Amino acid sequence: MSRPPEGEIPLETEGDIVVARRTVREIASQLGFGPTDVTRIVTAASELARNVFQYAGKGKMQWRNIESSGPSGLELRFLDQGPGIADVNLALQEGYSTGEGLGLGLPGAKRLMDEMEIQTTPGQGTKVTVKKWRKS
Amino acid sequence: MSADRLSVIRIRDLLMVTVPPDPDDVTISGLQQRVLAAMEQYEAKGVVLDISPVDTLDSFFARTLSETAQMVGLMGGRTIIAGMRPAVAVTAVQIGLTLRKIETALNVDRALDMVSSKPQLKKSL
Repeated sequence: MSRPPEGEIPLETEGDIVVARRTVREIASQLGFGPTDVTRIVTAASELARNVFQYAGKGKMQWRNIESSGPSGLELRFLDQGPGIADVNLALQEGYSTGEGLGLGLPGAKRLMDEMEIQTTPGQGTKVTVKKWRKS
Repeated sequence: MSADRLSVIRIRDLLMVTVPPDPDDVTISGLQQRVLAAMEQYEAKGVVLDISPVDTLDSFFARTLSETAQMVGLMGGRTIIAGMRPAVAVTAVQIGLTLRKIETALNVDRALDMVSSKPQLKKSL
């Protein structure tokens, strides 16, 4: 069963976090990432999907195969219309959490991926985009 | 629903807990309750948590394991986490999960060796 090169799934229930992990695992494996990178990407996706569910209640995850001149890669986007992040720099600090977590979600996901971009407007929502490039 | 795939069995005076490969948050939270209840019910001396099927250990899962070990400790038991896969260990370190103060073993066999051969060493921070 192969996945299309791009798509999206809803993140509306706790069970959707599991669906997001499985989806990302399939896509990343299909794109030829090695087992350690697959685990890195799936773990980052799990953190970011849980953030959507925990802070915004619901949202969605989009994925896209990406190519630059050199390597190919995977882009994941986590979108929600939740409260937004008041201070992105603070949220990226290890150990900082407004929820009940360890404060490792956002900074951890950033370290596991090659690129991370956060667009957020307080009161309107958050879009977190992460990318991982396939080492050839 | 998937909590059924979490197995808790007693072997001598230990609890052997096998964690399903990709548990949802409800299953992970249920693990804590089942382990603590089984500690009391079987008067167990400790818990071996076999995480060899697990291929994604995120911060929520790790926090629950860590808290469970602390709670088992308060009840007078010892917790050994066994069988962490290489990719999971790499990811855990990168994300900053230390699982401090929890004993770990390469696999369940080694965990059982630890329990039978050595007294528990009090780990400092």
